[in-house]
Amino acid sequence: MALGTIGDQDVASRVEATIQRRGRDVRGTGFRFALFAALGISTLILVILLVDVLTDGWPVLTDRLGDFWSGTLRSRSSDDSLGISQGIVGSFWIAVFVAVLAFPIGIAAAVYLEEYAPRNWFTSVLDIVVRNLAGVPSVVYGLLGLFLFVKGTAVTNWFVDRVNNRWNAWYGEDLIELGQSTLFAGGVTLAVLVLPIVIITAAEAIRAVPQSLREGAYGVGATKWEVIKSQVLPFAAPGILTGTLLALARAVGEAAPLILVGAITGRLAPRDSMFSGLEDFFGQFADRFTAMPIVIVGWVQNSGRDEGFGPAAGAAIVVLLVFVIIMNSIAVLLRNYFEKKRG
Amino acid sequence: MTDRSSKWRLLWAVLAMSLVVVACGGTDSADTDADETSSSDDVANDASVETSDVEGQIFISGSSTVEPVSVRVAELFEDVAPDVFVDVEGPGTGDGFKKFCAGETDISNASREIKASEAEECAAAGIEFTEILVGIDGIGVMTSDRNSAIDCVTFGDLYGLVGPESDDVESWADANAITGTDLPDAPLDIFGPGEESGTYDSFVEIVIEDLAEERGQDAATRSTYSPSADDNVILSGIQSSDTSIGWVGFAFADNATGVKLLDVDGGEGCVSATAETIASNDYPISRNLYIYVNETNAADSPALRAFIDFYVTTGLDEAVSEVGYVELTDAAKAEVIAAWQG
Amino acid sequence: MTDVIDDSIPPPPLTLDLLAGPSRRRLKERLISAVFFAAAIVSVIISVLIMFSLVREAWTFITGVDWGVTWGEAGWFPRRGLYDMPTLLVSSVIVTVVAMLVAGPLGLGSAIYLSEYASRRTRSILKPVLEVLAGVPSVVLGFFALFFISPQLIERIGRNAWLLIGALIIVTYAAVVALWARRQFAEATVARAVIIKRVVWLTVFVAGGLLLAWWVLSVAGEADAFAVKRSGQLAAAAVGVGILTIPLVASVAEDALASVPRELREASAGLGARQATTTVQVVLPAAVSGIVAAFIIGISRALGETMVVFMAGGAADAAQFTSSPFDGGLTMTAGMASLATGTDNVVGEGLTFQSLYFVGLVLFLLTLLLNIVAGRFVARVRERY
Repeated sequence: MALGTIGDQDVASRVEATIQRRGRDVRGTGFRFALFAALGISTLILVILLVDVLTDGWPVLTDRLGDFWSGTLRSRSSDDSLGISQGIVGSFWIAVFVAVLAFPIGIAAAVYLEEYAPRNWFTSVLDIVVRNLAGVPSVVYGLLGLFLFVKGTAVTNWFVDRVNNRWNAWYGEDLIELGQSTLFAGGVTLAVLVLPIVIITAAEAIRAVPQSLREGAYGVGATKWEVIKSQVLPFAAPGILTGTLLALARAVGEAAPLILVGAITGRLAPRDSMFSGLEDFFGQFADRFTAMPIVIVGWVQNSGRDEGFGPAAGAAIVVLLVFVIIMNSIAVLLRNYFEKKRG
Repeated sequence: MTDRSSKWRLLWAVLAMSLVVVACGGTDSADTDADETSSSDDVANDASVETSDVEGQIFISGSSTVEPVSVRVAELFEDVAPDVFVDVEGPGTGDGFKKFCAGETDISNASREIKASEAEECAAAGIEFTEILVGIDGIGVMTSDRNSAIDCVTFGDLYGLVGPESDDVESWADANAITGTDLPDAPLDIFGPGEESGTYDSFVEIVIEDLAEERGQDAATRSTYSPSADDNVILSGIQSSDTSIGWVGFAFADNATGVKLLDVDGGEGCVSATAETIASNDYPISRNLYIYVNETNAADSPALRAFIDFYVTTGLDEAVSEVGYVELTDAAKAEVIAAWQG
Repeated sequence: MTDVIDDSIPPPPLTLDLLAGPSRRRLKERLISAVFFAAAIVSVIISVLIMFSLVREAWTFITGVDWGVTWGEAGWFPRRGLYDMPTLLVSSVIVTVVAMLVAGPLGLGSAIYLSEYASRRTRSILKPVLEVLAGVPSVVLGFFALFFISPQLIERIGRNAWLLIGALIIVTYAAVVALWARRQFAEATVARAVIIKRVVWLTVFVAGGLLLAWWVLSVAGEADAFAVKRSGQLAAAAVGVGILTIPLVASVAEDALASVPRELREASAGLGARQATTTVQVVLPAAVSGIVAAFIIGISRALGETMVVFMAGGAADAAQFTSSPFDGGLTMTAGMASLATGTDNVVGEGLTFQSLYFVGLVLFLLTLLLNIVAGRFVARVRERY
């Protein structure tokens, strides 16, 4: 704009002013302020959200945190043994399912995509498939879980029959009962849900490994697997770890697929200790379940008839947020730390 | 600790009482006061050992209206028989019977009697069942307590005000054109529960259905009112307008302030809504709540039998009213117990 | 391979076999690569299973349903056999649009600030805010939307409806006047400039007065022009969904901005452009594909968000047709979730169970389409730089 008025008498002073930023750049400042406001409002929303949840849950957290931690689903909010233990246990096992199923498969798939996959149509299809899976709404995964594990298909029936035959030989009863929502169904559904996230983040971490590292290892006669094992994976480990932590946090906070699969919101009786024997340990996977987000949803719905459930839901949210934010923060800190170290 | 142990003692006592009732069966227990008190200790000791030792799992599905009752009974039962695990879900009466007749549940909660088609399905699958009446759900019809123009409504009035043909009814008097009633001209504000609620279903079934069928209409309410899942919201809506009308579960309506419970005429004159008129079935907008028990499972499982024993005694006495429904009369309770024992 | 190198014995001739190494080692390599391949195939299997389950059950619905009940304004009553798709679709559109009105400006603004303006230090403080927000589970936003956004924001908007409508009209009017004045100023004499200035100030005062009057009136009358439903509305849920979508929009947009080469900015600054000019006229146009992609991905996310609408959308299990954001309603996702709550057993009259899958299929195809389009836009940015 300044250039447009060349020939004006005071052009020299205007150019000088522009260069030295004298005078007020009202529009520039306004623009900058608007942008900062966008970020500021986002921050403010987060703060309000945290304060709101904390104040709602405060009475429960301060008065009876111990009982709340060890309590169970109850019909009345005034019940002393109202609490989240069943949600915690359910979410814990879901996290274990995710760690056992999604992490190895996801990381291995990422290794294949980045290290092995030839450049052909099949690889590009694979790439597209993974990316699109990551964008599928979580509730659709719930439909998949409902279809596969609860309603049962030929494949799942075959699998369940095998497991049950084995279990029958040992304990004389069926382990898995189809047509019923189980911790197994919920855990596998969420493992499937976060798989694409694990693959994408792990693939990114592997892609960031410098080519020279690989070449160095090949140079001394290492095979492909040895290169991956000794150079690529160790270098990519922090990035992969970040991705897995984010995936874990996502799985722990996810409710929609579990609602579809049929997590219990009514009453779930307290069970025997699952560590009393192998049968109880595996038996719980074939049992009805609930999880932290489901507990919260159930209580929010109950608050329509019994107002005391509102604060209980708030307190449960605080507990859930503590877990999720800790996992996320560790992930972010890890990533920043390694970025800085390498950058 | 003292709190806890006293709670336990109370529960033992309750259990003892219930077992006495069970033991006495159909016989009239009022005339043997002295014997009863002396023998109750022994019975209690024997019984407590027995009930607290039973183990097993019970799964209950069905009506979301009855769900809180069964949950509450299960909670009370847990203190008596800690090794019996009772899970409860509440998708709806129809969903529950589907599962029940597939043999997936031990008990099915129901806010209506089993339909013939459902009973056939059960029979085809070889499932035999026992029906147990557990309580009564009344629906209170209300207006603002500042509204003195009206004290009693007929089913016809209600059909005209909120029935399927009333989408354009904006004044009480507009309803007169539909069913030939005689209501005053005043703005009409409607507040009620949504379709997901059992209260909605009952209201439609009892008040609307017959008239709708007669007139060739769908059994549903008008679609032009804003339903709410939150009873408090319905109440504050009714309070907010001088000439409002609305309906919620009786227990909720009974405790509310700022609203007036209307008498209802179901064809036999105006009856006011009280716990007594509902328990005696005089008040027209009420429905029975049932549980259906899988007989084969009950025969096989001492835990299930113990749970039902508990349900028809402590459950009927405590849980039903705690959750906000109307208890059966003593005579009706005795009948239920007798039927279960028999 | 040998430990001691003995020069006196000539080395064996080098063959391909020798270079390839021992066969066991090769076998192991092949096995391992097969394992990795199998892991990669799992994604394909999952995709196929998702499509298979959706299509199979949805097909039963499509072939069995009376299409008359799926199109109209009859409302979504799946347990009664009324599967009215417009009820769900319109609510989904309302929620998505309102959510993007929140997430679009806030997400894009945050991205631009972080990428173009923020110092290293500011960035290291403010970026984590978005990352924490991205990690907040949707049930938490559902709670927040129901217990905070709904009573504190939406119901307040309802109570002050006329004030807001008035403010909107006046702001629009003021903007038009300002634009007009600016154009006049370009070739104005001093005398005219004074007149124009007076007109502008008069406008401002009149507008302010009107606004005040409007406010007094609306407080006095407690007008609720939007007929806001209490305890949860689509709008409250939509704002919650929008908040959830902010970090996603911000992160994709920031990636797009970061991929704009530094040289473009330097060239622009070298020509004497202010930073705002550089950002608006150089960086944003260069990154436009990526920003469009950010919005599309945001829309896809908002469309697929379930729990917030389920908890705060003001309808449960069934919904009447509505086109007002201040009414309660069910989106496609919330409709599915509320039909299946609390049980693994969805039965109703007829095709209730299958209707879940039909809605799921529609949702799946819509989000798939959006994601593919967004992918194209992202790829375009990559190709360009």
